[in-house]
Amino acid sequence: MKSLTLARRTVLGLVLSVAASPLVAQDRPTVAADSYPLAYFADRLGAGAVDVIFPVPAGTDPSFWRPGVSDIAAIQGARVIALNGAGFSTWPTKASLPRSRTVETSAGFADSLIRTETVTHSHGDDGEHSHTATASYTWLDFSLASQQAEALADAMIRQIPDLAAEIESERDALLADLSALDERARAVIGDAAIGPVIASHPRYQYFARAYDLTIHSVDWDAREEPTEDQWAALDAMVVETGAKAFVWEAEPSEAALSRIGELGLVSVVMPPLANKPDEGDFMDHMNASLDRIEAASDQS
Amino acid sequence: MRRLFATLAVVAFATAAHAHQLNVFASVQDGDVVVETKFSSGKIPVSGEVRVLDDAGQVLSTLSLEPDGTACFPLDPNLASEGLTIEVSTGEGHDDYWILTPSDIASGSGS
Repeated sequence: MKSLTLARRTVLGLVLSVAASPLVAQDRPTVAADSYPLAYFADRLGAGAVDVIFPVPAGTDPSFWRPGVSDIAAIQGARVIALNGAGFSTWPTKASLPRSRTVETSAGFADSLIRTETVTHSHGDDGEHSHTATASYTWLDFSLASQQAEALADAMIRQIPDLAAEIESERDALLADLSALDERARAVIGDAAIGPVIASHPRYQYFARAYDLTIHSVDWDAREEPTEDQWAALDAMVVETGAKAFVWEAEPSEAALSRIGELGLVSVVMPPLANKPDEGDFMDHMNASLDRIEAASDQS
Repeated sequence: MRRLFATLAVVAFATAAHAHQLNVFASVQDGDVVVETKFSSGKIPVSGEVRVLDDAGQVLSTLSLEPDGTACFPLDPNLASEGLTIEVSTGEGHDDYWILTPSDIASGSGS
């Protein structure tokens, strides 16, 4: 009987070990993110031991990305689902996500979110009504980005306790980098004294508030050349605001750059990085944007 | 279990990012796919088109919303094995969708 039990145990042990081996190899914890900054933070925090799911294709605005069934299935299986919040993405309200593993990283500063202008329109039988919205590019205030990174780190430590020590160590390094970026932005903007700025898209509300910039916005499609009507509206805005610089969210065409110069504006490219850049990472690009603001202040 | 569905539906409706938009929630109940819709203003759409898509985005069927803003159709396990997307349009630019993954369908709750 004993030998039978032993044999059973041996067989059971072999079965378990055979079954477990591929699982160990494949069962790396995953963290899903709805924005590139959160994907970058998750990758840093995971210290190479975590796979990050950020399925938004290049060139797609993550705020309007529509996932497929397989995307949601993969996201549902993640140990942590990191959402920016502030109304950044719509897809999390269109599928069931496990609440215990989902973290809205801006929830800790909900009182500091920026309400955007009201749009009034009418259709159907509802008569005229208004929509208000929330500015959602919170990470462009690098101190808020730090709070989001901390919220994500807390969630990862809770859901991936085996990596707690590594995540804590990486969190400290990430927060130090974000703090340095925040200090640099304050110094650069403070010294730049570039006055009012016009942005090609209303993306920079948190950046403006954090670093004491006055930013007005037009609403140009980054993938298209501005129309003559848009140029005329910009011309009027320059006169009205006295702006000296124009912030592009993506590299403009040579023709557009030249036209901006004719309006007396200095161009600054500052990708907000909602989606993953082709090359480089969050820190590289944000520092490069600050370099360009610094250079622009010398020209304006 | 129905309380859970109701709670999930309320959460889905409540977490909508903007006012006055259509919100859709779908779940699997007793072998049927139940679709519930509501505007974020609280109003119930009285008509609309429901499209059922497979995981590849192919339309499997279309049906109409009932006057109470719901729709219901029997789950075909073969067609739904890889998951479903439920799209609803009520006109005037109001549309929304809900994704049911294979896991949602297997658990029979959509959650």
